[in-house]
Amino acid sequence: MTATLTDRYVLAMLRGVPGKQRPDLERELRASIADAIDDRLRDGADAEGAETQVLTELGDPARLAARYTDRPLHLIGPELYLDYVRVLKALLSAVAPLLFVAAGIVGFLDGVPIGRVGWDAAVTVLVTTMHIMFWVSAVFAVVGRSPSLREKVRARWEVSALPAYRLDLTALIGGSVVTALLACLLVLTQTVGPLTGADGEPIGVIAPALWESGALYLAVFFAAARVGFDLLGHYVGWGMPQAVANAVLSVLFIGSAGWLTTRGLLLNDAFFAAMGWPQAVISNVLMIALVLMGLADSAEGFRRALRRRPPTTSSKGL
Amino acid sequence: MIEDDALATHRQELRRGTVVLACLLILQRPDYGYALLEALESKGFPVDANTLYPLLRRLEKQGLLTSEWNTEESRPRKFYRTSADGAELAATLTGDWTDLDTAFRTLLKDES
Repeated sequence: MTATLTDRYVLAMLRGVPGKQRPDLERELRASIADAIDDRLRDGADAEGAETQVLTELGDPARLAARYTDRPLHLIGPELYLDYVRVLKALLSAVAPLLFVAAGIVGFLDGVPIGRVGWDAAVTVLVTTMHIMFWVSAVFAVVGRSPSLREKVRARWEVSALPAYRLDLTALIGGSVVTALLACLLVLTQTVGPLTGADGEPIGVIAPALWESGALYLAVFFAAARVGFDLLGHYVGWGMPQAVANAVLSVLFIGSAGWLTTRGLLLNDAFFAAMGWPQAVISNVLMIALVLMGLADSAEGFRRALRRRPPTTSSKGL
Repeated sequence: MIEDDALATHRQELRRGTVVLACLLILQRPDYGYALLEALESKGFPVDANTLYPLLRRLEKQGLLTSEWNTEESRPRKFYRTSADGAELAATLTGDWTDLDTAFRTLLKDES
């Protein structure tokens, strides 16, 4: 009976140490346990009670094995944790909004009903987020368990690593309000409109075919992503990954809007005929304005990423 | 009144590292794990077995202790002895300890 508990304990401990250390460790641990039991027996304890007491004091055999082998008892240790969180934040904040838009466009092109496009895009983002979190955690856990890798990764902290300043809250609110107002204005002119045709139906600025196809919901995706980026800029800080993702988003938006405009699919011919405005000129102006807006937005993203210091009162506020 | 948990943590922080020095000093004469555990306890350096045994292995790996199996008695035991490097470290740490002691004494005298 007395040997059984010790045997089981030693076996459980040895499972946690490399093979070549086992014989020596087993011999020493058995001697130490036997010495401790003998000592307690001399003090008048019964055999079973002494063994239980000694093994209990040694504690969880897996923990003892980890101490013998200097193995960490945590997934991601304190020396890597901050980098781990930074990598996760940078990846997620750059990838999630872009993916939302991309999934929305793909869903729309596949002819998925508009109501489902948003839901599907959200699910795609959620699944990808979980993938990113899992794989980043796995990589960091491996690095933390390899001493040579750990040394390479652990960088000395320098002041130049101070985070970029966070996006101004007023800029964030302002941007969101303008986006919402523009969307409302567009919907209003399209549905109740300043102009009505001979049949009494309103004539909107946007080509009716495009409006009815629901393509403009894509614009809502872009707007949602835009606000998402600004939110991240405020809460996470704005860096190079966000600036690049922001530029990609701008290119996507200019590309699709420009394509629609040049093909004459965006604007409603009837609206311009009724107003007596030259549609060709307006199309070109709109095209140039779109490109300029996109460029300015991308440039602003990079400027923000490169600026390390918070804005002072003398520099411009937004 | 300080809470028990906080008190235990502070005392543990203060004692951390003293066990290494005590081991290096005691093991100038070779001894085995359990006997060392007892010796540390009786000399005022109580330590848990599951802390001491891995510590001995680590010090051996760092070359501060050497070890040898003694199979003369009925129960074979691994004996540890402080190496030349270990003795050098023990001298340095002892110096640090006395410096700290002096510093504290001066501090206490200034305060009173």
